[in-house]
Amino acid sequence: MLVVDRHGGLVRINEAARLLLPDAASGDWLHERVPPWLSDAHRRICDGLSDAGSGPPTGRIRDRFLEAHPTTGDDGDVVWWLVDETDRRFAETALLDVRARSEILAEVSGALLSTLNAGRCMEMAASMATEHLAEAAVLVAPPQGRRHPLTFARRGGPVTQTVRQVDVSAVPGLAEALQGFPPVPARWIDPADLPDWVVPEGFTSPVGSVIVTPLPGHGVPAGALILLRSGTERAFSESEEVFARLFAARAGAALSAARLYTEQAAITTTLMRELLPPALHHVHGVEYAGGYRASKDHERVGGDFYDVHPSADPSGETLVVLGDVAGKGLDAAVLTGKIRNTLHALLPLAEDHRRILNLLNGALLSSHHTRFATLVLVSVLNRDGRTRLRLTSAGHLPPLLARADGTVEEVATRGTLVGALPTVEARTVETVLAPGETCLLYTDGIVEARGGPLGDDFLGTERLKRALAECAGMQAEAVVERIQMLAAQWIREGRHDDMAVVAITAPRASSHAGDEESGRNGWRNT
Amino acid sequence: MRQATATDTVVERLWRAAVEGDEPAAASVVHEALDAGVPEETLLLDVLARVQARVGVEWAADRITVAQEHAVTAINERIVASLAHRRTGGGTAPFRGRVTVSCVDGEWHAFPARLVAEVLSLHGWRVDYLGAQTPTPHLVAHLHQSNPDAVLLSGSIPTHLPAAHAAITACQAVGVPVLAGGRAFGPDGRYARTLCADRWAPDARGALAVLDGGVARPNASAGRQAVDDLPHLADQEYTMVVRSRHRLVKQTLADLEDRFPPMRAYDDLQRERTAEDIAHIVDFLATSLYVDDPELFTTFLVWTADVLGVRGVPARFLVASLDVLAEQLRDFPRTMRAIERGAAALGAHAVRTGSGSGSGS
Amino acid sequence: MSGFPSTEFALELVRESDSLFVRVTGDLDYDTCDELVDGITEHLTGDGTPPRCVRLDFDGLTHIDSSGLSALLLVHRRAGALGATLHLDNRPDFLERMLHITNVLDHLTGPPPGSRSGRSAG
Repeated sequence: MLVVDRHGGLVRINEAARLLLPDAASGDWLHERVPPWLSDAHRRICDGLSDAGSGPPTGRIRDRFLEAHPTTGDDGDVVWWLVDETDRRFAETALLDVRARSEILAEVSGALLSTLNAGRCMEMAASMATEHLAEAAVLVAPPQGRRHPLTFARRGGPVTQTVRQVDVSAVPGLAEALQGFPPVPARWIDPADLPDWVVPEGFTSPVGSVIVTPLPGHGVPAGALILLRSGTERAFSESEEVFARLFAARAGAALSAARLYTEQAAITTTLMRELLPPALHHVHGVEYAGGYRASKDHERVGGDFYDVHPSADPSGETLVVLGDVAGKGLDAAVLTGKIRNTLHALLPLAEDHRRILNLLNGALLSSHHTRFATLVLVSVLNRDGRTRLRLTSAGHLPPLLARADGTVEEVATRGTLVGALPTVEARTVETVLAPGETCLLYTDGIVEARGGPLGDDFLGTERLKRALAECAGMQAEAVVERIQMLAAQWIREGRHDDMAVVAITAPRASSHAGDEESGRNGWRNT
Repeated sequence: MRQATATDTVVERLWRAAVEGDEPAAASVVHEALDAGVPEETLLLDVLARVQARVGVEWAADRITVAQEHAVTAINERIVASLAHRRTGGGTAPFRGRVTVSCVDGEWHAFPARLVAEVLSLHGWRVDYLGAQTPTPHLVAHLHQSNPDAVLLSGSIPTHLPAAHAAITACQAVGVPVLAGGRAFGPDGRYARTLCADRWAPDARGALAVLDGGVARPNASAGRQAVDDLPHLADQEYTMVVRSRHRLVKQTLADLEDRFPPMRAYDDLQRERTAEDIAHIVDFLATSLYVDDPELFTTFLVWTADVLGVRGVPARFLVASLDVLAEQLRDFPRTMRAIERGAAALGAHAVRTGSGSGSGS
Repeated sequence: MSGFPSTEFALELVRESDSLFVRVTGDLDYDTCDELVDGITEHLTGDGTPPRCVRLDFDGLTHIDSSGLSALLLVHRRAGALGATLHLDNRPDFLERMLHITNVLDHLTGPPPGSRSGRSAG
């Protein structure tokens, strides 16, 4: 308690106040002994300026936080009751910190979980660590072989990533953190012990304080995070260490999810590589093009397949296969893989379509199921400018021929589906393609595409034929694109089955004399 | 000036060979020009791009068939591939970064995206080109795997804008910025802004400049949804029109018999073409509601009036279709405004071109 | 928004003396074919003597895909193993066309393999 006269002179000071203001004595000027927030408040009261409604003045004196409640006496003296609010204030600040930190953690999780790319995830984690926790951060990932992926970040600087062989045991607590042991308290780590590789480029001032914390993962650690502060900054407090652990937990969870996804995606890519439709090229003077769309748009593989097996030399027949396995998705795709491999092995027998089909049939028969395939085999021979085809359908939709005069023919080959009956009957049909003519192989997903302007019609063979009639003289790629576009525009967003098309086209005569020579330029990617 | 003239000649020769479907001749035109010292970038952007652009113009004017359209595109694609093939190993530009080039889900016109991909490759960008008709889930899976600096999203047909919006939001949600390009986004890129793409570029050179300037990563934790960008969608008019698309087309087709007498003599094929035309009208109407810009609708109608006009379908067909649609959509104010604007634009266009729609049949 | 209204798939199975009557309505495809196989298998292998004849009525069939045909082949195999013959009645054009193209009609409706010896033994 202080008593101050209206001129600002100290009249009395009690014991408690003397502890706070040990140098103050009666007769001193108030403004020379207390901070301005209190002396100014006194002057306002004496000048009759009331602070009604704004609450008592508050401020610091030394390390305490105080509220000052004035009582004006009849003689104009003011009695100031100083109430120590330090502890309450501390609690309030702590609460605000907690709120801010949980906001930061939510933001960190949101940002990190948005990516499933491990590199990007580490980049963001290191960058956000420098934003919220430290001046610099180094994220050390578990080793790949002998080398560790390292991510360096400096507040306000760029994030850099390298893969290097480093001695993790040189950093106190790092080897332990990478094995998932609890973090070593920051005060135990002497910054002077840090090896140079830990300090990011551009971090010039000496390191004053260090946190090394594990990034907990799914059972195994996802890495470790090293946080650095320079000597000129205040050292990491205990509560900051706790916060760093929480941050690391979020980062570790996100990083583990990203790594898991990356591994799964890599496995899927490897397994699917063999099942993806091949890119087709022009072979021995005949154009081939193929197009594929899986029934579910998030899948890349399905029950339709095609292959072109070029003969070793131009005088031999090239074998084209297009087929469809009953079913959809990965199960069906695995069976297409089996069929494609079997047919590849049977290529030496390609002269006899029926024999190939019966051998394939035998390989596919199973007592467990009746999952069958339908397919078309086409042997193509280009000799003396004539493209001769031998076509055999095994339960498949008849191939279509786009003739130069704009008519479209169905090839009258017919045979038994493969893989469900003891034997296969099939009839092979021969035909010749004139220059500019195309033979189109397609799966039922095309003609059974449902949609159209009214929403519920099948695309149907007639519409397919009509579109194909316009394709006389077009290159194989253009025909495939035309048919795929027709189907896609027909179904729009609707449900559809797997759809595959292959075009076999006899090239048109060119006005360009240097046809042979132009292969040198690489434009004909045979 | 001489360079321009030389380029014009190459364009003309390439066009003639391509429209004839003569691929060897077309390829030699381009490769001879390359051998004669025309830079590859010039061939891509000032020759092949111009030939491709001419495809659309000539088709609209009914001077080439759909089949020829595909033929020219296929030849152009193969020539671009052959140029890339020839270049293999010759890339001298320093590495700039990695980008993904993709078409909007449902978009078949891949050639503009292909040109952008090639030009960026020439300038040192590592490009993953995903091609036409890329399902958005494939695109996002690819981004997770490759972590590119940006996605270049190409769209040619405006009706794919809602799909483009979904792709933009999905890319940004994984922290990858989107540079939108292509005719679908409007001549001034206005729909790229409407759909909150990070950047827009009018062409391949523009895209290169934007990338060279650097594109900041979006805030991935923002978690935006379509309605956050486009609050007008809350009125449900877009949803309504899309959901009742088939019913609208059927009803319009039926009612048109009365309003548009020539239809009574149509055969099945002609009726199907008419149904397709009506479906297009509904699609563009819905898209204009999505981006809340009636001009998207009017632009389409005026263009269609010309396309139908040269094919002998009177402009009255469009006006009558709008009348019938308006009767079915009377309760939807935003939709009605678009239809009214469309009818007015068709009227003004008819006056301009002298193809009077009011004069008797 | 995606898809189209497909006819609800329904099966109606009735056993009358020697025959199992099966009415198939709607789309017989990838999504519904298991229902057909399971439904018929249950009646074939359930209590009592198996039927000598399984009559499938396709009057209400709206669509069939390759999975549907695969299901018919499986039904045929299971019925045949028990000595029962399959009959495909009221076949719509599209089913007829599919059976023609795949060349399995004779197989599906022929006598069960080894039926003679099976019958004489029983």
